[in-house]
Amino acid sequence: MATPLIAGDRLDTRPPVVNHSERMSSGNFEADHILGGGFPANSINIVMGHPGSGKTIFAEQLIFHNAGDDRPILYLTTLSEPLSKVVRYLQGFRFFDETKLGTQVVYEDIGARLAENGASALVPLLQGAVRTVSPKIIVIDSFKAIHDLATTVAERRRMVYEMTALLTAYGTTAFLLGEYTEDDILAYPEFAIADGIVELSRRRLGNRDERYFRVYKLRGSRYMEGAHGFRITDEGLDVYPRLVSPQMPEGYEAATERISTGVHGLDEMIGGGLWRGTTTLLAGPSGAGKTTIGLQFALEGVRRGEPSLYMSFQENPTQLMRTIRNLGGDIEQLQTQGLDLVYASPVELQIDSIIVDMFRRIEQRGVRRLVLDAVGDLASAATDPQRLHDYLYALVQHFAVRTITSVLNFETVGSAISTPGMQNAMSYLSDNVLVLTVSGVEQTRRAIRVVKTRGSAHDTRVREVEITTDGLSVLG
Amino acid sequence: MLGEAPDARLVLIVECDPHVRDLQCFFLEREAFRVEYADDGPTALERARTVLPAVVVTEILLPGLDGLALCRQLRDDPVTRGIPVVVFSMLAAAARAADAGARAFLRKPLVETTFLAAVHDAIATQPTGIMEQQWQPR
Repeated sequence: MATPLIAGDRLDTRPPVVNHSERMSSGNFEADHILGGGFPANSINIVMGHPGSGKTIFAEQLIFHNAGDDRPILYLTTLSEPLSKVVRYLQGFRFFDETKLGTQVVYEDIGARLAENGASALVPLLQGAVRTVSPKIIVIDSFKAIHDLATTVAERRRMVYEMTALLTAYGTTAFLLGEYTEDDILAYPEFAIADGIVELSRRRLGNRDERYFRVYKLRGSRYMEGAHGFRITDEGLDVYPRLVSPQMPEGYEAATERISTGVHGLDEMIGGGLWRGTTTLLAGPSGAGKTTIGLQFALEGVRRGEPSLYMSFQENPTQLMRTIRNLGGDIEQLQTQGLDLVYASPVELQIDSIIVDMFRRIEQRGVRRLVLDAVGDLASAATDPQRLHDYLYALVQHFAVRTITSVLNFETVGSAISTPGMQNAMSYLSDNVLVLTVSGVEQTRRAIRVVKTRGSAHDTRVREVEITTDGLSVLG
Repeated sequence: MLGEAPDARLVLIVECDPHVRDLQCFFLEREAFRVEYADDGPTALERARTVLPAVVVTEILLPGLDGLALCRQLRDDPVTRGIPVVVFSMLAAAARAADAGARAFLRKPLVETTFLAAVHDAIATQPTGIMEQQWQPR
């Protein structure tokens, strides 16, 4: 299976660290990548998060993925949720396979026995399970709830110690689920003995929620730090590893080839076209011609046999196709030849999922040109400005290493030059900065100015442009 | 040369961890083996000479005499030379175990199918001429 593109360490040319420990897949390719290949086999792991954060779904996705004919998997429910409820909702997921129930996946409710005999009853229950079921995976959902049955701190600690000793002696991988908070990490003894700690969290953003997957600890593993976005779908968790900057390969050199923008007169303004692999910020107010230039750039690539990806957060596919037809393009033919039009609603955007989708397409289609229309919409999708800045920086670096030539449209309000904040940051990150302006009262007049071209001399004049059925062109 | 015939259903477990020992005992007794214990190297050496088990299963990390040294001493003693040793350890020491004359090496943790298979194999493959030759002291 191919390694995901978005991993920063993917381009690391150093020999990998040899790790002899076996790994257990989480059942999710991207989560496994974050975990450095999955959970270490025969480890004890904590999956923490508030109610509704996705812990049970994560664990169930994992167990059904790993279920097989070798040894069964044991899912123990305790005092948080009745077994019937857990299984009822499980059936709504595609990974659920009822033919595995009772043989490869064994559910058991131990809540009543624990309630009757206290927390110290857990270890004998586990000993019995090991001897009779021989489980290769044991899930305890919820483990935190068992603490409520312990009458003293000493009893809690003894229970955790004995359980750890048993689970370390026997060849099984354990997952302890619980509604733990970050403060609980210092308070509960299981965090000290755990080999792995994974947190699932949820953050409210306007009318929607963003979910994050984070690895706090994973012994003997080179895992990806930080918060990684995820969604819950009928497939289970769909995880989007955080974009990090690539390591530059030893052979990385800036491309020496210029490519046409597809805009009449613009190539001459920037010294003969864009250097392949560079990033161009195209700033301007609404109606200035950013989308038109972006489409011309993508269509020019298709005409030259370069797969081109146009990601729109503003115009939906119908609107985009109409614009392309107005430019004289045949949509079906262009798509056959390598044009990929993607629309994502700015209301539902989660930056991590967009990035993952983008890189999947880049890898699958061998994209050479890319347009983001408009990058400012990513700002509204990002809950953290620093996170957005890190993402954009990493994006530009990935494009450079892969010699993907990109155009990032950026919508400004009022004078483009004086717009503060993100445009300044983007100008810093981009190789080239082009600014479009709109003026005029009785007649709209559009103009373009080249603010910066890295590695080229450029036309420093403000040049008038016009938009016709042939697209946007630079006048004079 | 191999001394008295070993007790075909007796397994000597040399292990400090009570949880591992309990599991070993449970799975072996379920297979109709009898189990003797020792939790340090010198005691294990003495018990092996006395009870002549069908197989010795030993951890490497032991007080008094480590599992590999135990293995060598069993091999060097004409009385215990024929007793196969299975090294069952948390250490990744397969090569060192083979060098010490162990019949098999297993890495912890315990998985009963693998564990029992190793014990059965060790007993079933009693030393042949070739094995005896391999066991000759250097």
